[in-house]
Amino acid sequence: MKGLGSVITVLLKEKRDIILSIICGVLAGITSVGLFSSSGYLISQAALAPPIYTLMVLVAVVKLLGIISAVSRYGERYFSHRGTFTMLSNLRVSFYEKMEPLVPAIFQKYRSGDLLARIVGDIETLQNYFLRVFYPPIVIVLVFLVTIFFTSIFSLEAALIILAGLLLTTFIVPALFGWRQQNIDRRVRESRGELSTEVTEFLYGFRDLKIYQQVNKKESELLHSSDAYLEEQERENFQKIFSESVNTFVSLLVSVSVLAVGAYLVTTGQLNGVFLALLVMISLTVFENTTAMAIYPSYLQDSRQAVSRLDTVVNDQEYHLPDNNNDTVMKGIAPSVEVKNMCFSFPGEKRNTLKDISFSLPEGSKTAIVGASGSGKSTIMQLLLKIYPPSDGMIAYNQQSIEKLSQETIWENVNVVLQSNHFFYGTVRENLELAKGGLNEEEMQHILRNVQLDHLSLDDQVMEKGGNLSGGEKQRLALARAMLRRAPFWLLDEPTSSVDAVTEKELYDRLLELAQDDTVVLISHRLTGLEKMDQIIVMEQGLIIEQGTYDELMGRKGYFYQMKEIEQSVFGGE
Amino acid sequence: MDRLKQLMMEQKSKLISMFILAVLSGFAIIGQAYLFVIIVDRIFLKGYGFSQVIPLLIGLLAVLLTRTLFTYLNLRTGIKMASTIKGKLRRSLLNKYSNSPLQASLHGQSGQKVSVMMDTVDGIDSYFSSYIPQVIQSTVIPLMLLVVIFMEHWTTGIIILITAPFIPVFMMIIGFKTRDKSEEQFDQMAAFSGTFLDTLQGLTTLKLFGKSQQQKEKIRNSSLRFRDTTMEVLKIAFTNSLALEFISMLSVGLVALEIAVRLIIFQDITFFTGFLMLIIAPEFFTKLKDLGSAFHTGRTSMGAAKKLEEELTETIQNVEWGSVPIVSTEPPHIELNQAGFSYNTDGFALRNITHEIQPYEQVAIVGKSGSGKSTMLNMIAGLISPMNGEIRINGKKREQLREHDWFDHLSYISQDPYLFSGTIADNIAIGSSKGASRTEIIKAAEKAGIDILIQSLDHGYDTQIGEAGRGISVGERQRIAVARAFLKRPSVILFDEPTTGLDLQTEQILQASIKELGKNSTIITVAHRLHTIKNADKILLLEDGELRASGSHEDLLNSDAVYRKMVTVQQGGMAQ
Repeated sequence: MKGLGSVITVLLKEKRDIILSIICGVLAGITSVGLFSSSGYLISQAALAPPIYTLMVLVAVVKLLGIISAVSRYGERYFSHRGTFTMLSNLRVSFYEKMEPLVPAIFQKYRSGDLLARIVGDIETLQNYFLRVFYPPIVIVLVFLVTIFFTSIFSLEAALIILAGLLLTTFIVPALFGWRQQNIDRRVRESRGELSTEVTEFLYGFRDLKIYQQVNKKESELLHSSDAYLEEQERENFQKIFSESVNTFVSLLVSVSVLAVGAYLVTTGQLNGVFLALLVMISLTVFENTTAMAIYPSYLQDSRQAVSRLDTVVNDQEYHLPDNNNDTVMKGIAPSVEVKNMCFSFPGEKRNTLKDISFSLPEGSKTAIVGASGSGKSTIMQLLLKIYPPSDGMIAYNQQSIEKLSQETIWENVNVVLQSNHFFYGTVRENLELAKGGLNEEEMQHILRNVQLDHLSLDDQVMEKGGNLSGGEKQRLALARAMLRRAPFWLLDEPTSSVDAVTEKELYDRLLELAQDDTVVLISHRLTGLEKMDQIIVMEQGLIIEQGTYDELMGRKGYFYQMKEIEQSVFGGE
Repeated sequence: MDRLKQLMMEQKSKLISMFILAVLSGFAIIGQAYLFVIIVDRIFLKGYGFSQVIPLLIGLLAVLLTRTLFTYLNLRTGIKMASTIKGKLRRSLLNKYSNSPLQASLHGQSGQKVSVMMDTVDGIDSYFSSYIPQVIQSTVIPLMLLVVIFMEHWTTGIIILITAPFIPVFMMIIGFKTRDKSEEQFDQMAAFSGTFLDTLQGLTTLKLFGKSQQQKEKIRNSSLRFRDTTMEVLKIAFTNSLALEFISMLSVGLVALEIAVRLIIFQDITFFTGFLMLIIAPEFFTKLKDLGSAFHTGRTSMGAAKKLEEELTETIQNVEWGSVPIVSTEPPHIELNQAGFSYNTDGFALRNITHEIQPYEQVAIVGKSGSGKSTMLNMIAGLISPMNGEIRINGKKREQLREHDWFDHLSYISQDPYLFSGTIADNIAIGSSKGASRTEIIKAAEKAGIDILIQSLDHGYDTQIGEAGRGISVGERQRIAVARAFLKRPSVILFDEPTTGLDLQTEQILQASIKELGKNSTIITVAHRLHTIKNADKILLLEDGELRASGSHEDLLNSDAVYRKMVTVQQGGMAQ
């Protein structure tokens, strides 16, 4: 419940909508009870042949109640939905605030885009919290209280029966079924997970399955999981309609009891017979809204789970880095970087991703890091950016230990191109403007020419994740963004892997021209165009296994030389 | 849509029982109304004693119980129907995919297909589990109520008959006016809801550029815009139900007024009839209102239905097999005869390939990307069927062979082998159709040069895939695929040589392993390494889906200009 507390805090910001929804809901509930009870009274009075004007008054009352009821029902729906969506917006912002400091380290733990989709989904789930968990019970209880008070004027006994009915349908039955629901929910989720794995394996691994003749086996396993999942879903739905039915029956039972007790009181003369129909109509109407309470626990459960999942993400202590801010060091000049005996393993992992890494990047030097995929190249860059702290050893910028620098200070002074760069839905201009404030048209157009993207105009649309750009275009746009930033330190992680060799060379030339006085680190798995680099660091399985200039490494005929040999023997225009 | 109807019609017995249950619920509702009214009437006006109505009260209780029971059973039948249909849909999707899913995986659509199988099929649920039962109830019960109303007091019936049609008319007017508008808004809504995800995905970039704070406002604004657009659409729905409410209220009000006037002024009906009408009339409208909300849930399923429809009607090319066994364990003689293949849309991927591959031959397929190399490998593997021409194995058409025997002789080492959930040992053992001992598995792993790495994991060979730290790299996966081949000892090996990105060790192991495996088998490689090509007995040069030339390295070097150019570019170093 601690988790839901934070949701309630966010929710209570929208007091106005909450109060209006409750008022409208209560009004709608009461007037509809009034409407039906007064029409029951009307008909009973009519049977007694009263003077016509009493009837006129009653008819007018019925009409009035009906109109108020319908209008306030509309109001309830309107305000509760508006409140919900405003709340959703607040929730997104509040979650964003909590999550922002943990990025990007946290993305490593939850690797896939899966996590993000789940977060978005979980926050959406919380829209049901206000709409179906938070305020409906308040409305129901208030309507009941008024109704019970009103009923007690005519018959205390009937009022007590309705009270008992309220407790049963709103609290006891839902609680009973909610308790059973938890188990079923878990089983549905588990069986869904199993089926999803089977389907994924079947489709992604089909070729291997076919060749190893496992298709039939997999197919029957998949159908088996599908049946298990269907069975659990069925059970879940049966449970839901069963508890709804029980709730309906209980409320009908209450109406019969009211009728029985009322009838008894009429025969003993304790109740005027003219009120009997009224009492029956009251109890039939007031319970109309309690059926929905039967599934209240499953919404509560969903919200709780959503919140606890969100909490685990933002409360992950592993990713809260201490921030010691000391902004005096990095000030617009090309830094020198010193790395000594650095080791690193990802949180929760035994295998060391980096082992005993030492190198130095003198001010204004150009360094390339090469190696096979998985050799630890990108991890070095993440450590240089202080996305993670090294497990052992040290990194220093201008003789200042990285521990004393805040992430923001470092990032402010780096032009970064990541392996996968994000582009936002918007124009090319908007995506470039991220680099730096106050850029003018000309600068941006110039840079686009520099990276050979002059076929794009600044007003061209970029779709979500740059979906309408090719891999090479995305890389060049990212490079353009880095170039616009004009910081004196460059960290480039395979910035041109999807660009053809000729263009790559031209881009490198432009880059080195722009970065003449800057410190540059270029991570690459291609070995071409590295001749001009001051040093090349060769990585394998987390170790630096060679280091030197292009000529030195080629002359040594070691690892780099062999890699180069293989690269040269790769055939065809891939 | 037709498919949904067809699937529903297959469930005729369930539909009939739902119909019968609806009729029974209708009777229970009518019985309930009668009993309530009779009891009130007898106590209030007729002066019966309490003990005289006790049997009626018990009867009422029984009727209420049956009413709830019938409603429950009706919904339950709907859920069962949904379950059966979802099961059937999954089965037919699976059937479809297993006959030719390769095209899908070649086009990189596997993720999409997973979501069709999971989410889209689930999305169908509410159509059968709530919409259909509700439609049945809402057509049967109001009709029955109307019959009772006409029997008891026809003027009420007339009032309802005059007012009720306003509901669909009114809804249609609102519906027509707003449909275009709301559809346009749905598009906008989709765009807004994407913003949050988009921002979260780009948070690393935003932070590196120091722009993450500003983004907060963007999220808030887009969420609020999302709210406003959604509210526009919802308002329409709310107005709809407001109108419904007004109409039903007007109708019930008229009924009450007419009854009151008749009771007092004309005194030609009884309290019994009047009260009965007053209870039944609202029930009539409640059922109609339920239909309105069910229609809403039903509509969300329509999209899913449409998607499934498209998925299932897409034509596929089946791969056929026969019953001729392959007896020999020697590598077969493979013959391609005018073979061609095309994907759904854009032209032929392969055309008129005619070539013979002798047993034990080492064949290298070369060519630019997109020239049809992988398609050719898949075709030889029997994963796709030639659309023109034929493939003969030992003189027999491939279609006549027994599928089991063919795959028993074959290994395929792709650039990106798939590891299944289970242990590493399981993943190597999948290579043997007979079931392999641990010793055999370890031996195969040793030959593939991955034994040391596996031993270094916490649980060794019993390490679950997905639990080995941050996963298993591509190079390691390839070595596991090689281990599978060592365990299987196939007579034909298809090998898609990696383009780049492997460490030296894996490179060396792959070369040595292929050499070793080649002693006992025919090897067909989509080749990217010059020395693989040089060492091949025969090179097939593909260009735009056609076999441009074939022969040994020397032959081609002398006879083919394109080949010569490719080699010289290579030997002069990469393009500068």
